[in-house]
Amino acid sequence: MLQTIVNGLLYGGTLSVAAVGFSLIFGVMNVINLAHGVFVVGGAYAALALWTGLRLDPILALVPIMAGGFVVGAAYQRFVIGPAVRRGSPVAALLVTFGLSLVVVNGLTIVYSSAVRNVSPAYAFFSVRIGDVTIDAVRAIAFVTALVLIAALALFLRTTVWGRMIRATAQSELAARLCGVDARRVYALTFGVGSAFAAGSGVLIGMIMPFTPAEEVQWTVYAFVVVVLGGVGSPAGAMLGGLLLGLAATLTQTYVGPVYTNVVMFMILLAMLLVRPNGILGSAFRASR
Amino acid sequence: MTAAPILEVEGLAVAYGAAFAVRDLSFSVPEGGIVALVGSNGAGKTTTVQAIAGAMRPRAGRVRLAGAEVAGADCAEMVRRGVTLVPEGRLVFPQMTVDENLRMGGLNARAAPNVTRNLARVFELFPRLAERRNQLGGSMSGGEQQMLAIARGLMAEPRLMILDEPSLGLMPKLVGELFGLIQRLNGEGITILLVEQNVRQTLQIADRAYVLEKGRVVLSGAGSDLLDDPFVRKAFLGH
Ligand SMILES: Nc1ncnc2c1ncn2[C@@H]1O[C@H](COP(=O)(O)OP(=O)(O)O)[C@@H](O)[C@H]1O
Ligand SMILES: [Mg+2]
Repeated sequence: MLQTIVNGLLYGGTLSVAAVGFSLIFGVMNVINLAHGVFVVGGAYAALALWTGLRLDPILALVPIMAGGFVVGAAYQRFVIGPAVRRGSPVAALLVTFGLSLVVVNGLTIVYSSAVRNVSPAYAFFSVRIGDVTIDAVRAIAFVTALVLIAALALFLRTTVWGRMIRATAQSELAARLCGVDARRVYALTFGVGSAFAAGSGVLIGMIMPFTPAEEVQWTVYAFVVVVLGGVGSPAGAMLGGLLLGLAATLTQTYVGPVYTNVVMFMILLAMLLVRPNGILGSAFRASR
Repeated sequence: MTAAPILEVEGLAVAYGAAFAVRDLSFSVPEGGIVALVGSNGAGKTTTVQAIAGAMRPRAGRVRLAGAEVAGADCAEMVRRGVTLVPEGRLVFPQMTVDENLRMGGLNARAAPNVTRNLARVFELFPRLAERRNQLGGSMSGGEQQMLAIARGLMAEPRLMILDEPSLGLMPKLVGELFGLIQRLNGEGITILLVEQNVRQTLQIADRAYVLEKGRVVLSGAGSDLLDDPFVRKAFLGH
């Protein structure tokens, strides 16, 4: 039991990183980014390519992969999402994100096939025992990295000028513009940061578990559930939601059976929507960001 | 009224989709003066000032600031050029501290180097805000939020400050203070364009006022003259 809880929390840290970017994009722009999981899976495959091609350690690979995620995410907002939102409705943006994710998943499948892959650095097989609990080095490293990434994002949002502009735009776009903020640049920046965190979480996920291109959908849904659980558009909320979801998923896997994990996820999602119907899309979310 | 105009609006038209909220609107604001826009709800006052501040794109017309054509410029450029709008409904950033709200106001390239000096100035002007420096904007009373919104606007070092219904929802005592404050800021050299529903007090302090109806100017004159105008008395002063 203790082992399961520890595993769940370690896994949850990684989920938090996947969700924090989704939560940021949703909190600032009200765009549900259905392509979010694509960035996660893309990050995992990029880590795989850098590891097999250059023997670059996944933790070091975080730097170029997150930078790449930023650039692609910012461009994606600038040239795809932004025009869709401006021309039509948020639904148009939703469809566009969905369509693009199909294209990328098919591309990845063509290049890498749909076979299960994983990234295994040298330390992938180390572990330490504390009492009855075994902690895999790779999980511990991924968890600590997740904490550092989330703390860095929180610090960025709180203490830098650009972070302040992002928060201000989320709270009142008109007021932020009247202060001289270029909202379009803030949106591109937000999408870039959100995507960088998605790609970064993909790297961590690739370290601790096997992955396939089609899992993209699952990561988008998990990010969504984490945001529902955390109930807030802040890094702390995503952290909390991620840990809770990691626990729930791991407990289900161990005590109910692996095939039930997604069922439990959806039940949590449903229950949250019933108990706090405006918890995700409504006032509770908005008030807290 | 011999001062050169800092702002000249000519034939302004602004629309939401196909619905024109403002059409063929013209008025001007002399440098150093207080000019008021009054009119009933839905007359187009907010639309007008948002177009001037760059938050909405005019469909037609000219906006000249100190002689330069600025129609269609965005908010960032207007702020840089010295036009600051304190929006209707205050719109303070609720989840940011007073201090952060004020720093947002001082973001533009012209004011950014003077943030420390400007903070000291607004804290002197609003001691209440200094006391609540680390409190969240959303946790303050309506009156305090209005002070914060004005202080945030001042952080941008405006030459022309536009205030959209600043007295809305304030207690009568605070309304008096607010009008005193506006006169004081004007005395310090800031030109004021004031949108108000509080017509009597507004006309008392305005050098010139324009009455809007359905997106057009229907009447204009010196503030004191309009106070005695039969139409104004009937429509806005209740007798
Ligand atoms: N966001 C909007 N979308 C569509 N119509 C609007 C919007 N805002 C205002 N209007 C319309 O424009 C007209 C002028 O509104 P407004 O400028 O807010 O007037 P005022 O500030 O004088 O009360 C009104 O008829 C109003 O219904
Ligand atoms: Mg109005």
